[in-house]
Amino acid sequence: MKCALLSNSNIESLSRRVDTRHEMFIGEGYGSWIQELANPTSAMWRFGPAAVVLLLDGTELLHGYEGAKEDTLFAAVDEQITWIERAAELAPAVKFFVSNIDVPPLSVRSMKQVSIERRLEAYWYDRLVALGARVPNMYVMDVKGLIEGRGREQFYSKKRWYLGGMKYSVVAEKTLAKEITRTLDAIAGTGRKKCLLVDLDNTLWGGVIGEDGLEGIQLSETGEGARYRDFQRRIRQLKDLGVILAIVSKNNYTDVQEVFDNHADMVLKKDDFASLKINWSTKPQNIAEVAQDLDIGSDSFVFIDDNPVDREAVRSAMPEVTVPDFPADTTLLPAFLDQIYQDYFFALESTEEDRKRTETYLQNAKRAAERHAAWSVEEFLTALKTKITVRKVMDEDLPRAAQLTQKTNQFNLTTRRYTEQDLQGFRRSADSAVYIASVSDKFGDNGKTFLAILKKAPPDTAEVDTFLMSCRVMGRFIEDQILDHLVRELRQQNVAKLRLHFFPTKKNMPARAMLDRLKGKIVSQEENGNTTWEYDLTQGSPVTQPAYAELMPR
Amino acid sequence: MEQKLITVVAAALGVDPELLKLDSAAGEIEAWDSVAQINIVSEVEEEFGVSIPIEKIAELHTIRDFLLYLGAK
Repeated sequence: MKCALLSNSNIESLSRRVDTRHEMFIGEGYGSWIQELANPTSAMWRFGPAAVVLLLDGTELLHGYEGAKEDTLFAAVDEQITWIERAAELAPAVKFFVSNIDVPPLSVRSMKQVSIERRLEAYWYDRLVALGARVPNMYVMDVKGLIEGRGREQFYSKKRWYLGGMKYSVVAEKTLAKEITRTLDAIAGTGRKKCLLVDLDNTLWGGVIGEDGLEGIQLSETGEGARYRDFQRRIRQLKDLGVILAIVSKNNYTDVQEVFDNHADMVLKKDDFASLKINWSTKPQNIAEVAQDLDIGSDSFVFIDDNPVDREAVRSAMPEVTVPDFPADTTLLPAFLDQIYQDYFFALESTEEDRKRTETYLQNAKRAAERHAAWSVEEFLTALKTKITVRKVMDEDLPRAAQLTQKTNQFNLTTRRYTEQDLQGFRRSADSAVYIASVSDKFGDNGKTFLAILKKAPPDTAEVDTFLMSCRVMGRFIEDQILDHLVRELRQQNVAKLRLHFFPTKKNMPARAMLDRLKGKIVSQEENGNTTWEYDLTQGSPVTQPAYAELMPR
Repeated sequence: MEQKLITVVAAALGVDPELLKLDSAAGEIEAWDSVAQINIVSEVEEEFGVSIPIEKIAELHTIRDFLLYLGAK
């Protein structure tokens, strides 16, 4: 990813520490950041960044304002924020990450005197937060938090400052580079895991429920048991960011049921988990079953267990599962989960779909149960009362649309991964269109779960660049129905031919089934299996599958 | 100490320690520019638990210079 790193101190050394997957641009000169931002023909804009990281040193920001009154300083901050705002508005597809500031005391003062440094830190932060709320592509980077974590003593280096205009110590540069790398990775969105699997005994609570009983396990609001309660609180926060939770535990189900029902200090409830494997099977066996139940690849799993033997069993049987070491000192449990979030589940923002994800999986389990009630598939699909809403993507859909391209593996004809910026490009181009669809049914709302990108190929052909659907809504022939709808629109625009591609991967065979149902012919097939179909739209729609849902264009 | 120093300098430069000799000098190794020089000083200070006075730093051009400085301490 192309990233511009701007600062009011020398960040050359820091920029070299950012992972080489990312191409870095750094501004020239310590004070040039405003100019780089404000001038549309600056070297930075010519570089064409997908992300701009603005790392500002509080002390340097005050340079030239020594002895100034608060009003003067606040006015200067307002002006700087305005420059950032303009840049962010001019380049809506570029993500801006702006640091909060740390201002060490600049002068001696009496106890009654107000700390101008504290006031300024707070004012800058308030203005940034307000800006972030107005401008969707601007994010606050909590550099002040990193400095507080290490302490100024360790974070800054006077020697490096006097020698080379570098503010930060080596360890601070490593910390910042890691933060920047993580942020840039999160834009690409590819490495994020989906599901956290947890053990119960000595993991969600202290002790063994089967031996110690409900009264004997450690789990409480205060005292020693609070470490487990704090750990559970953080796991719950992960869930709200869209991480799926599941239990994999060797226990008697009834013992665990009693904890869920009767332990006042359980933060996590049974419904917080999309899958419960509480039995005496091996962990790898249970994990494989969770993967099947939830239809999630086990390479998207992170497994937490205090027992080193179980961890090792999972590592060797399922090397694709991420298995972090468990802290030997359980007072570190909350910090351990913070690290797991940073390393495996870090997210720039969370969508409404993320917050409801577990609910959706639970609803899916209910749908599956209903299907088993000896109905014909047709009866079942009709009874679901599915509603599909299709429309062209709007600005507010872009985060979810990018997430769909990055995370959908099974029903995905071409598995092309796109960033928000890419999608904005397709959306703005006269030669392409991006469609998104939401799906709901009598059990609940599945949210935005379908995406298609169509491109014009002169003179009269439409090319399907991307056609994907979340696995939550697979198996209902929704794809046929949406395609049929798109075909109708294309025919109105006098498009005569439609071309679909299928690029096989390890996971996307489910998408192939749709192509076999359509009326058309293969026009090219490569050795790697990449296949292209063509459909003559002058003869009508290639879709033959009956529809079961109600489709509402908007 | 010699081998440890070479390892520390190599890490600061982001190069293979095999490429460095005692007489390797700033300017001769491509990665060894003025920014890298400061990083070498910081890493040596950290790893060897010393504080190199700012006046001394301009005199340290080769790995041998650092070694002699550390030996003289």
